[in-house]
Amino acid sequence: MEQIMDNKLMNLTLKIWRQKDAAAEGELKSYALTGVSPDMSFLEMLDVLNEQLVAKGDDAVAFDHDCREGICGMCSLMIDGQAHGPEKAVTTCQLHMRQYKDGDTITIEPFRAKAFPVVRDLCVDRSAFDRIQQAGGFCSVNTGNAVDANSMLISHDTAEKSMDAAACIGCGACVAACPNASAMLFVGAKVSQYALLPQGQPEREKRALAMRAAMDAEGFGHCTNEYECEAACPKEIKISNIARLNREYFRATLISE
Amino acid sequence: MEANENCASKCCGRLFEFLDSSIGKKFMVAAAGLLLVGFLVTHLAGNLFLYVGDGAFNHYAEALEHNPLLPLAEGGLIFLFLVHILLSARATYLNRKARPVAYESYKGKGARTPGSRTMALTGSLILLFIIIHVATFKFDVGGLKGQTPGTEESLYAHVITWFSNPLYAAFYILAVGGVGLHLSHGVQSAMQTFGVNHPRYTPLIRKAGLALAGLIFLGFVSFPVYFGFLQKCLSCSTGAH
Repeated sequence: MEQIMDNKLMNLTLKIWRQKDAAAEGELKSYALTGVSPDMSFLEMLDVLNEQLVAKGDDAVAFDHDCREGICGMCSLMIDGQAHGPEKAVTTCQLHMRQYKDGDTITIEPFRAKAFPVVRDLCVDRSAFDRIQQAGGFCSVNTGNAVDANSMLISHDTAEKSMDAAACIGCGACVAACPNASAMLFVGAKVSQYALLPQGQPEREKRALAMRAAMDAEGFGHCTNEYECEAACPKEIKISNIARLNREYFRATLISE
Repeated sequence: MEANENCASKCCGRLFEFLDSSIGKKFMVAAAGLLLVGFLVTHLAGNLFLYVGDGAFNHYAEALEHNPLLPLAEGGLIFLFLVHILLSARATYLNRKARPVAYESYKGKGARTPGSRTMALTGSLILLFIIIHVATFKFDVGGLKGQTPGTEESLYAHVITWFSNPLYAAFYILAVGGVGLHLSHGVQSAMQTFGVNHPRYTPLIRKAGLALAGLIFLGFVSFPVYFGFLQKCLSCSTGAH
């Protein structure tokens, strides 16, 4: 009996950004949503809304999603002014409605940046990240097969730092949360994961110069060390990666021919 | 010769690319900012002569004014201010453009500090203060020097007279508060921009930045508080005895 009480369905008011296409003017629209289970994920809650909208003959709300298990970086959403919602180190797909209570109003907006134009409703085009990655976020030397253990000496701490940086799923929450729409945490993570390992050394300077140039060319803002990116990152990428990017770029400017 | 020119243009090209880049701009703003903090510390140290007395302070001021290198130092200071202000203004402008449509609701996750939120505001306040400060103290706009007969050349008397003006003292306190708030973010932010981020040292750098901001605030705020209010109260109470 107690469990049934705990799982009481909720009624919510959703204020959702609706925008027909990239060129159209958008606006926040209010929707009353009934029958939301606290066990639903945030995206399942939007699925329920869309079922109700479609049943009424309205357009479904477009939003990005894919794996729904917090590893692909496809889901986004600015939920009540917080990228991926109120929880720490969680993507929107892993946010659950038990975070909310009956009668709550939730404002849902797309990630906003000039470099992330709205495609429709809550979907934004994050291909700017792909273009930055294509500018230098790779390793074009043939690293061959996995080498024998301990033949390439990398300290455990360094390997862990590189892996921590490589945990970035490129969701864009750092840009969305940054007051300046800066992409420094993303680029910092991508530059760091290679700069820390021997395989990244041959193209180290070229990479830092090219990825910085691509980042600025996309129209992202300047990092002013507000550290909101780190607080919003679902993969807890640290701002030490931004410091490393600063060092890598400065170093590359000085020593690259 | 041609090879040299090509070489120079290549070098300048890379340098210009750095200065025009988002990271390079921040780097210059941070470098100029930290040098300006150095100036503030020197300025505060000089001003502390006020507590020694009018003789010591006036002697210090005169020695400074008669130093032939002063125009050079002033030029350097103006250059630092220009670099710091113009590049951060340009970055702020570009940052506004980087998010053309604002959020309806923007809450964040609590990483921002009162100092970081208000950098543009406190920076503008400090600029306004510097203009008034230089106008009144260096160029004697408002002509107070003439109003205190017999002390025309005394900078000490000039300082005391201005701080006796409650409006000026209040503005000074507000501006110095702005400096403290600006530095509470600025010092550690500059270090992060230089790439200094270390699990062992960064917590210390943040505390040291706050402490420096606090000391500079307390040092400068002590002058209007002492010469504008406390000294008067002290002399009042001594007078009553």
